[in-house]
Amino acid sequence: MAVNTRRPAERPPAPPRRRRLVYRLRVLRHDPTAALGLILLVLLAYLVVAPLVAVLSDAFRLQYGDGVHAGQQPGEWTGYYLWRVFRSQISGLLFWEPLLNTLVIAVGTTLFALVLGGGTAWLVTRTNMPGRRWLAGALVVPYMLPSWTFSLAWLSLFKNERAGGQVGFLQAQGIRTPDWLAYGALPIIITLGLHYYPFVLLLVGNALRRIDAQLEDSARILGAPQRTVIRRIVIPLMLPALSSAVLLVVGRVLGTFGTPYVLGLPADYRVLSTGLFQAIRDRSTGVASVLTTVIVVIGVLIVLADTRMMREHRRFVTVGGRGAMDRLGDLRRWRWPAFAFGLLAFAVSVVVPVLTLLLSTVTRTPLDLSTFTLDYWIAERLPGAVGFPHGVLRGPELWEAAWNSLRIVGLASLICAIAGLLIGYVVVRGTAPRVAAFLRQVSFLPYLIPGIAFAAASLSLFAVARGPMPALYGTTFLLILVMAVTHLPYSSRSGIAAMMQLGREPEEAAQIAGASWWQRMRRIIFPIQKGALVTGIVLPFVSGLKELSIVIMLTTTGTQLLTTLSIGLVDYGYTQLANAVVLMIALISFTMTYLTQRLTKSSLASGLGG
Amino acid sequence: MPTITLSAVAKSYGGGDYAVKDLDLTVPDGAFMCLLGPSGCGKTTTLRMIAGLEQPTAGTIAVADRVLDSVEQGLYVPPERRGMGLVFQNYALWPHLSVRDNVEFGLRMRKVPAPDRRSRAEAALKMVHVDDAIDRYPSQLSGGQQQRVALARMLAINPGVLLLDEPLSNLDAQLRLEMRAELKRIHEESGATIVFVTHDQLEALTMATDVAVMKDGELQQVAAPMDLYARPANRFVAAFVGSPPMAIVDVGPAPTGLAASLLHFVKSRAEGCAPAAVGIRPEALHLGAPHASAWREEATVEAVLPAGSSWTVRLRVLETELYALSYTPVLAAPGDMLTCWTEHMHLFGEDGGRISAWDTRGVGA
Repeated sequence: MAVNTRRPAERPPAPPRRRRLVYRLRVLRHDPTAALGLILLVLLAYLVVAPLVAVLSDAFRLQYGDGVHAGQQPGEWTGYYLWRVFRSQISGLLFWEPLLNTLVIAVGTTLFALVLGGGTAWLVTRTNMPGRRWLAGALVVPYMLPSWTFSLAWLSLFKNERAGGQVGFLQAQGIRTPDWLAYGALPIIITLGLHYYPFVLLLVGNALRRIDAQLEDSARILGAPQRTVIRRIVIPLMLPALSSAVLLVVGRVLGTFGTPYVLGLPADYRVLSTGLFQAIRDRSTGVASVLTTVIVVIGVLIVLADTRMMREHRRFVTVGGRGAMDRLGDLRRWRWPAFAFGLLAFAVSVVVPVLTLLLSTVTRTPLDLSTFTLDYWIAERLPGAVGFPHGVLRGPELWEAAWNSLRIVGLASLICAIAGLLIGYVVVRGTAPRVAAFLRQVSFLPYLIPGIAFAAASLSLFAVARGPMPALYGTTFLLILVMAVTHLPYSSRSGIAAMMQLGREPEEAAQIAGASWWQRMRRIIFPIQKGALVTGIVLPFVSGLKELSIVIMLTTTGTQLLTTLSIGLVDYGYTQLANAVVLMIALISFTMTYLTQRLTKSSLASGLGG
Repeated sequence: MPTITLSAVAKSYGGGDYAVKDLDLTVPDGAFMCLLGPSGCGKTTTLRMIAGLEQPTAGTIAVADRVLDSVEQGLYVPPERRGMGLVFQNYALWPHLSVRDNVEFGLRMRKVPAPDRRSRAEAALKMVHVDDAIDRYPSQLSGGQQQRVALARMLAINPGVLLLDEPLSNLDAQLRLEMRAELKRIHEESGATIVFVTHDQLEALTMATDVAVMKDGELQQVAAPMDLYARPANRFVAAFVGSPPMAIVDVGPAPTGLAASLLHFVKSRAEGCAPAAVGIRPEALHLGAPHASAWREEATVEAVLPAGSSWTVRLRVLETELYALSYTPVLAAPGDMLTCWTEHMHLFGEDGGRISAWDTRGVGA
């Protein structure tokens, strides 16, 4: 019988290159995975990488119309915009002041969210507070509302006569609200904090829940008092979750648009995102590009810092799931005060804003029930409101905007989910490892970039005709594309996870059984991944519905979405109408999130990106 | 009829490392060939190349006279047109299809009319004894049932070549024993050529008609199971097949202790024989009164490990550890001195290849 005792020293002879190539091509013809990977690669490069390159080049090239000021020809390389943003006389107004404001808000919001979120997380996971299970769910609700819901509620309560339009509740009662209370840093910090503390609650709560009780027990058996256990054991173990939550909130605040727009601009309180928005409105492309680049760089730094910290921590964190914590600290006589605190948090972050908005839409004078009216919802004619002369449920505006939202966000989510699964498919099939690695990384790239900056970057690329691509500014097509791309990180991550979990064997088994690629896709892969596909559509859909910062950059008056309609009404000063629209959005997004969680058992924490 | 031929097949995942190196292997028609080796030896890669799920970097794969892969000639037949069966290690049943639909899938792909499809699926399920679970879903089946359904799914298309990728490794011991006999029966009933991958030598020895031992992507030996055991081609095969493994004592240029004793004995029996290493199987090492022609040495008992039908004894012989396997009770305690002896040794040359064996019949094959 055959015996092989040859040493493996020499490599087997490889057939000539050309032969191997012929063979490879033969194989590729039967396996479309590689082709699919290449198509996705080109698309992603075009939709994700190209906008960033475009915005960078716009930042360093002289735009038309600036030639006189800069003394250069349009299209030449220039440092003019850098100078203008960082060193010129107006750079304080353009950049430094907004940067400082952004930092103030970021720090303030983070602290607010940490205290409220961390405190409630501890109460609902580690104590015997009454109603903790219910509160654990109820306190996440603020995250399901559009982030600027709170700012509109704030205005309904505290608005003064400075910005024109109807004043808020307090002012109407004859109590003067000073500017610092009505507009600017303080209200922005509070309203954003109320929206983002559920992040901290979820992340820290999960970490607290996962800490192995044996780790604490060991310390206590070795003689450590409770305080030492918390200081030396619990807090170090919580650090990764805490730092994650902090960076997530900071990243979000950096890109948030609605709240600083509503509460900041009337008092000329500018942050980077609203500054960017104004630069684009003013058609100062060069300045906008520099601002975009700055926001992108900050966003990237934040995420890099996060991954770095996570890696540092992972070295020693061995949070096991086994002895999961079910022993609760006894609050004794503080039980009910703690419950009251939880209720208060729920009231302030959900009941008060929603009720304020709701009441404001049914009263002529804010919250004065003696002026009760349903006119703002259903009146045929509204006296005085020129731009929107009827109740929101009347006339075509709301329904058109709702249809647009549904259509655009729905399509974007569908594209997103399918692209996510296909990326997962290519990654798992592994026929082209380098393509797969590229897809994995590039599809994650938008995660690093605040949505508003990404929208601005996309404008740089698509606003003018380039090559065969016509100018897309103002088209719904562009909106769909950008929205799909910004949500791609989440859907590609979940697509990869779903495909990884499935593995490639089920498809290979079908292949062995004689199924062609198309049959395998239709009969095996997509049917099995139906659940993942639905989640992959719904999560981006819910978050896209609330999305303002991307939409505001890319829509023109021709295409209104619910979010832009609402902001437009704020601009007009039609408080009640704007509030009514926001309530509609909140209702839809809350219902969908709730239903999805119920139906798919997916936790909100997994869709945190949304 | 389906004889599988692999000639000069190599597989590299890039970077100069070869998962399979220059493999020549013929699986005769109707054989039950087992690819045996430690994990990472390239056996699964070889199987997947036969199935067409992976492509060789060089070489030719043919079944009967049909070339399926030939890098040199630029020929390639995709898996879906090879008409083989492959049972995966984790079964890969489709969770969204019932057992019936799982089994009928291959027939559907071949456009077999519905009534025919039904009866063939039922026949295949009957063959593996899970016809009572036909309307259930994979998640409702036990591991053993899933394994049988995976097998039935492939048997339904009546493949000339059936490939099995460690199909028994996820089953518990009892089921594994049962399935071994089942597979042997199915092999006989279906007449298919079967290639079976395993790292479990017992599985290979009990089921296969031919065993191919692989290591580091290279074929070490192809032989009938008992030949493999009795005449291992080299040190690797000798140490890999058999449990507890064969003790192999290196002789070296200046042998001392046990090595010197063994070498002295071998030289006294066969003039001019100079092995580089001497191997003794545990079951060939006996305890107690030696036969006249046997090699013998004093041994200290270190531990006795009874296992019901057999006794494994750890001995220290001339400062070297040896294992003896006895099928009669060993009534020794640790620290006891015994005589150990053997009439059967394997002799290995400088290159690790086996040069001969010595036993009471003298030096020979």
